[in-house]
Amino acid sequence: MGLLECSKVYWEFTGQCTQCGHCTKACASLSATDMTLGGIAKALLRAERNAGSVKELRARIVEDTRLVQAVRSCFLCDLCTNTCFAHNDANGLVYHARVDFQNLALIPSDTWLSLQVDQEWDIFTAYRSVYNIDFSDLRRHMLADGPKAQAGFDLAFFPGCSLAAYAPELTREIFASLEELGREVTLIDRCCGSPLKNAGFFNRAEALCNHIAEEILGTGATKLVCVCPGCANNMETAFVRNNLQIETISLSAFLTESGFIPKRDLPDAPLCLSRSCQDHDGSYLEETCSVLGIDSFACSVFEGCCGAGGSVATFDHKHQSQQTERKLQSVPKGSTVVSMCPTCTYTYALYLSNNRRDEINKHYTELLFESQIDWDTVFDRFGCMWTGETGAWLAHVLT
Amino acid sequence: MTIRRSSTGPVVAIIGYGVAGVNTLIALRGAGYQGKIRVFSDIDTLPYSPILTSYYVGGEKTFEECFPWCLEELGALDAEVMNSCRVVELDPEKHVIRTTEGIYTYTKCVIASGATPMNCSFTDASEYEPLVLRTMKDAARMKAAITKPDCERVLVSGASMVALKALEACLNQGLKCTLVGMSSHVLDFNALPKAAMRFEKGLRNEGVQLRLGQVIKAVKEKVNPNSLTRRRLEVTFSSGETEVFDEIIVAHGMRCNLDFVQNGSFEMGEALLVDGFMRTSDPDVYAAGDVAQATELISGKKRIVGNWKNAAVQGACAGRAIASELAGDRLFTEKGFIGSIPTNTIAVKDTLFNSAGTMEVTSRRYVREYEDDDMLILSIFQEEADGTMRLVGFNLVCNEDIPGSKAYETGAMLTQRIKRFESSVDQTPHTSPLIQAD
Repeated sequence: MGLLECSKVYWEFTGQCTQCGHCTKACASLSATDMTLGGIAKALLRAERNAGSVKELRARIVEDTRLVQAVRSCFLCDLCTNTCFAHNDANGLVYHARVDFQNLALIPSDTWLSLQVDQEWDIFTAYRSVYNIDFSDLRRHMLADGPKAQAGFDLAFFPGCSLAAYAPELTREIFASLEELGREVTLIDRCCGSPLKNAGFFNRAEALCNHIAEEILGTGATKLVCVCPGCANNMETAFVRNNLQIETISLSAFLTESGFIPKRDLPDAPLCLSRSCQDHDGSYLEETCSVLGIDSFACSVFEGCCGAGGSVATFDHKHQSQQTERKLQSVPKGSTVVSMCPTCTYTYALYLSNNRRDEINKHYTELLFESQIDWDTVFDRFGCMWTGETGAWLAHVLT
Repeated sequence: MTIRRSSTGPVVAIIGYGVAGVNTLIALRGAGYQGKIRVFSDIDTLPYSPILTSYYVGGEKTFEECFPWCLEELGALDAEVMNSCRVVELDPEKHVIRTTEGIYTYTKCVIASGATPMNCSFTDASEYEPLVLRTMKDAARMKAAITKPDCERVLVSGASMVALKALEACLNQGLKCTLVGMSSHVLDFNALPKAAMRFEKGLRNEGVQLRLGQVIKAVKEKVNPNSLTRRRLEVTFSSGETEVFDEIIVAHGMRCNLDFVQNGSFEMGEALLVDGFMRTSDPDVYAAGDVAQATELISGKKRIVGNWKNAAVQGACAGRAIASELAGDRLFTEKGFIGSIPTNTIAVKDTLFNSAGTMEVTSRRYVREYEDDDMLILSIFQEEADGTMRLVGFNLVCNEDIPGSKAYETGAMLTQRIKRFESSVDQTPHTSPLIQAD
């Protein structure tokens, strides 16, 4: 092995890139640094070739400010991959580059310590602890009689860390609805590991998913119902990796096939659906349209990252905010923006709380169920939790 | 990659130094092969990207920018590169490669010699040598010809991707262009008629004159009496009409570069038939890129899928398989090549065309259409045995070519849907090249 852990990936990418520059034209992060994806791979390999030691390698990469900026400011949204004539895998490249950045201590620890979702405390579990958001009664497979006695579930529900933390009532209502549809359900209220991947802890993210997969296997569930396409992708990959016969299904698809009737009318304002960048083949969007009873061709759809992807905010908050703004500018005035991923909903909500616009921001589950997400309360709580007694505790467990 | 090469031991020969050859080289080293690699290249430059040649001709890329890999990078892979060394014969029985520069032996060989433009059906009556577009040499000749101050009108013969990219290059150089094609529509085999017609509309909007369903019948060189240096080409079309042009570009398809392969040496279709590890019928000879006929996933048949990514992936597969075999692992623990799905993206000025999968509409397939002012999408669905409908192909034509736009996102999304099928295919690469050639 050379000085870079992932040099094989960079070589493969270098081999497949024509250097046509199409990716740079597609992406705000790449165009800001005037780099191509192949250029990132080549720059890393060049630094490795010309360095005699890890220390020197680190220094060479630090010197290459465009490279550092390009790797750290990537939203991992696939916009460049989708524009690339060869559909070269940008996500794979940047994830691995971040692994090497992590190895070389090029990602400051204060930017990821609160996102260590494989540890006892991360920003989501801490938030839930501070505000007593507890689902232990819904984690049926972990109740008193022990996992074996509780292995008779046919469905595991995976709300994802954002929904579970910021919308506990909605999470509970969805869970209850799944039960009302006659299913034996248990809750998996864990994080799928995306923040770890973003920070360059690829192996830890995989290990976390493997662990969750094992837990789901223990419940006896043969289906995992996911709210978010990103969680679904990570868990599906883990099931394949571990050769487990567990099907991953979107909440929307499951509700449709179970004959669920939405609990509220659609808003009057025209809908503008946001296709998540994790929804690679658009199936989440289509399934959501189906459960909402709308034609995806009849409403506007906008693409691309909300700004939260790739944990760019931990590196360049302004760049993230500009991305959110760019996306919202493409939304028809006065629309209800409907996102598939709860983190997108959070990101738009945060932006809209600071920048007044005519648009309304909803997660798709809010159009299906009674409970709504109270973002003002969420943001207030975030502001308060870092002060006083809890602030001291958070400083202790998250830093 | 740190390579410690031994002076004795196996020799891997790579015939061809394009994207397939380079990726074979990268994969061999990446998989830990430290022995000798000898690359035979019939050019005297670094490997170039055929995709970028039209950008060079059109003035969007410099000559240097058409070479994706620099000497330092390729040098790190530690191969003996025989430049300007044309292979004249491959003798698989004796494991010998005869070249213009000498005779070489090999342990394993990868044929990655690419393809050459065909001039076939261009009129023989003229002494004029038309312009073609594949190599950097072709591109340099084309650029020199069409950027002459007195070059005003260019005729492009052919309706393929290469023809259209050459056409765009001419448009970018401010020339008046005519496109003549035997087919009734552009984008042969890649587009359904309605999509092709929308693309043609875009071409006409750029001022391109289309002569579809016609061929060149005769070309006569005419010397302009007012200018001793300027000769013009009087072209007679099959319609009987005659027009005058300054240059003619011919893009009538490609043929594999396999002149050095003796008849009967390998199992052949249109190219070398390969198995799921890119092995030909000779277990010591592999093939990748335009010379390889591998599994195409929609039809399940062996076909040439001639594009950059496919060549890269196939070359890498061959490299990994050889490294694995030479390491003594006869079971090929490395990932094989399960097959590919054809994909195409082309933009001529502001008109974008994107496709993936099959364009064959059979009795079990139907086409669904979506059209608005900006975009036309034709999706081809196939009825499966269980009654479900599966997306097997699509065409997308958009009136604007903006990288990162909805059109690119939609094209990628539909491509992913077709590729879902990949996961349902048996992931074990087959080990015989002799199945289901077209």
